[in-house]
Amino acid sequence: MAEAGVLELKVPCDPRYISVVRLVVAGMGAQAGLTVDDIDDMKVAVSEACTNTIDHAFAAEESGSVSEPILIRFSPRPAELRVEVEDVGQGFEPDRVQLDLSQPPSVEGGLGLYLIHQLADSVQVQSAPGSGTKVIMTKRAAR
Amino acid sequence: MKIQTETEGDWLTVFSLSGELDAYTAPQFQESLAETFDRDLVWILVDLGQVEYIDSVALGILLGGAKRANERDGDLAVVCQRANVLKVFDISGTRELLNVCEDRGQAQRLLEQRRAMAMARNKRGGQ
Repeated sequence: MAEAGVLELKVPCDPRYISVVRLVVAGMGAQAGLTVDDIDDMKVAVSEACTNTIDHAFAAEESGSVSEPILIRFSPRPAELRVEVEDVGQGFEPDRVQLDLSQPPSVEGGLGLYLIHQLADSVQVQSAPGSGTKVIMTKRAAR
Repeated sequence: MKIQTETEGDWLTVFSLSGELDAYTAPQFQESLAETFDRDLVWILVDLGQVEYIDSVALGILLGGAKRANERDGDLAVVCQRANVLKVFDISGTRELLNVCEDRGQAQRLLEQRRAMAMARNKRGGQ
């Protein structure tokens, strides 16, 4: 069971539901006291994390297999919203993903993760091969 | 998301999009864009005036469209006024690459100039 104030959402691993996730980001962001601009940033960051899960978490599995849902945990705190996007997919070795945050990636791939890092105030990516992936993003209210 | 397509002056294809452009809806726009290139139309104006949200999937499609137009001596321009959407162009460093303009008139003038330059280049090359 989720702790008090925390909202857990189980979303099918399908892009049609990402717009629903954004609506929840808006509601939980407002509860946490984020500004409209902060909420817009977090909508993009959380959507990108979901898109990455849909594109990569179950990519190597045999076609026809059913992807497990994405678990999204919203934790509003005073002037701060923390969102965790978790899957039980194939995972990856984080050290093998090089991300240069000093400039946007020149290749198409990696743009989503770059946007997450630019728009959330703090980002943690926890993953290991075979153990799924959890992306933890926090946005603090602008002062 | 809704897509309206019109052709202006036999050379310019204008896409007017509304709603949200994400991993679910953007592929629909990608198909419309591909059909335009299939008809050898390489001057593209994408009006995002009524678009409330874009992400990296939409950016990838716009960048792919611009690249494909450039390879065929055409170009693509984007019209956008919404601050949250402009921010995505800014932080991804794609505002210049995608010729992002504030209004449709500015975007159309830019594409007209580029087209005149392309025609002059082709004329010189043909001599």
